Amino acid sequence: MKKLTIEKKRRLEGILFISPWLLGVAIFFANPIIQSIRLSLSKIVKFKGFVMKWYGFGNYSKAFIWDINFVPMFLNVIKDTFINTPITLVFSLIIAMLINRSMKGQSFFRTVFFLPVLLGTGHVMKQVLGMGIGEDAMAVAKGILMPEEFMRYLGPAFTQAVDGFLGRITLILWKSGVQIIIFLAGLQGISSSLYEAAHCDGCTSWEAFWKITLPLMTPVLLLNFIYTIIDSFTDSNNPIVDYILNYGFKNNQFGYGAAMGWIFFLFIALVCGLVFAFMRKRVYNAGLKQG
Amino acid sequence: MNKLEISNKSVSAPNMQAGTSEPVQNNASSRKVLFHKLTTRYFWKDIVVNLALYLLLLDLAFVFLYPFLDMIITSLKTEEDLLDITVQWIPSKIFWQNYKIALDSLSYTSFFKNSVVVTILATVGHVLSCSCIAYGFARYRFKGSGILFGIVVLSMIVPVEVLIFPLYMMYSRLGWLNTFLPLTVPAFFGFGLRGGLFIFLFRQFFIGLPYEIEEAARIDGCGPLRTFSSIMLPMSQSSILVSIVLSLVWHWNDFFEPSMYLFKPKVSLLPARLSGIISMFNAEKVVEDYAETEIIFNEAIVMAAIFLVILPILIVYAFLQKRFMEGIERSGLTGQ
Repeated sequence: MKKLTIEKKRRLEGILFISPWLLGVAIFFANPIIQSIRLSLSKIVKFKGFVMKWYGFGNYSKAFIWDINFVPMFLNVIKDTFINTPITLVFSLIIAMLINRSMKGQSFFRTVFFLPVLLGTGHVMKQVLGMGIGEDAMAVAKGILMPEEFMRYLGPAFTQAVDGFLGRITLILWKSGVQIIIFLAGLQGISSSLYEAAHCDGCTSWEAFWKITLPLMTPVLLLNFIYTIIDSFTDSNNPIVDYILNYGFKNNQFGYGAAMGWIFFLFIALVCGLVFAFMRKRVYNAGLKQG
Repeated sequence: MNKLEISNKSVSAPNMQAGTSEPVQNNASSRKVLFHKLTTRYFWKDIVVNLALYLLLLDLAFVFLYPFLDMIITSLKTEEDLLDITVQWIPSKIFWQNYKIALDSLSYTSFFKNSVVVTILATVGHVLSCSCIAYGFARYRFKGSGILFGIVVLSMIVPVEVLIFPLYMMYSRLGWLNTFLPLTVPAFFGFGLRGGLFIFLFRQFFIGLPYEIEEAARIDGCGPLRTFSSIMLPMSQSSILVSIVLSLVWHWNDFFEPSMYLFKPKVSLLPARLSGIISMFNAEKVVEDYAETEIIFNEAIVMAAIFLVILPILIVYAFLQKRFMEGIERSGLTGQ
């Protein structure tokens, strides 16, 4: 056997470690993706054995021109994402900061806020929330936070706005278990000496949040942002996911389903790319600054 | 308020002097200190702020807990209690019968086995493959490794709708439909349910570890595989635990993929059984005379069934909870 240079040997070792993944990529990722592109550009003629016929961009134009459900549903999902993502991030950051304080019952609160994750983001939760329990919970919680008389005093328009907002928030809170945990991990990583030093220099907690916590949390924020967007788009509660699958499997129109999937994916990729480009310069990177 | 503050200052200044010059008057001065403490603005502000935060947290915690409490309590109600609106929190009689009916109609024991097999196999696959792959990405730099890791990230964001049709066709050609293979085999190659996320998590953790230990191992003649298995893996216990918990939870609750690949009743998993019960319950609500089914599902039975399905996960989590939380903090998930 020929002697390998150290560099070559290192390289081989690295490839050895990721070899299962290379195999996996070929079988479970690259191949399906190519197939999916092919599928989206063709029509299945015979379902037995999946015989395909070239169809060009017919499936794509069908989504925009022919299908009356797809575009409104798509716009609705986009709207929901743009509203829900910032709310999710803000609320999970607030909750994470609240339970990050050293206090009694910390572990209790941590467990409670992680509970929805145990139910899964999937089917079971959909059922539990579908039975109207979420709204009940919010109504009771609202009662504790804001007495009914107070709400009445402020008038119906305000009450309605609050109700709409709170109704949305219950669902959002229920989906933010993972984000809370990730934020919590990030907060634990900030050294307390920074806060002490700032406090000695007369920094209020409000200033400390904007000047210390938030800048140091930007990498975590980016991670959470991407996670939230992906989670909301790939969630099986998402109506568009249901729609695509129903169309594909029930009507046996794999080609059209794949095309809708691709349109959807291109949008996700665009959003993620924009977020990444926007956050890239603003993310605080400890390694770069020091080096 | 202002006036009070001024008076505090005037009290505290002589008090301090008195304390230093006459240490004998300990009792009186400590009382004065207490008085001083009680009358400062900061003390009260602290208490009020703390109380408000606790109230807010309890409020939020209630929103999170309510569905669980409601589920458990509803599952113990009798038919009469369900109809009686005055019975909300405390059922007039604890009715265990619901659980028996739910157990029977889920055929819990046999489908529990299916779910356990799939979940454990997939979780083991994820931990083994993702840790190994992530080590390769974290410690070895070679041409194209950056691009390959980009593909890992890409595999996280490609939604399942894009891949599901070709995957279905592939599994159908392979004859894997209605077996557990489509759910477990990809996990052993770093794919499957959010496989990319686990690779990412492990990689972040390995990057945070110091190089010196591995260098020392190599100098002592330890090969790369051995270094990984007997040095790096034992050190990454926290990450392994986090991955185990998340993978278990996600696989156990996953409804989507099993419903695609397992459509014969014999091989279905618990969430699919549950969804069957729920759809029967919903159907009964619409069609009043649905008398053909032997069991009439009411809300209590549905809730009991839901609780039974998530119970194993709750038990596992109860055992791993503390170490899981520690693990999250140490897992380097956040890149620090």
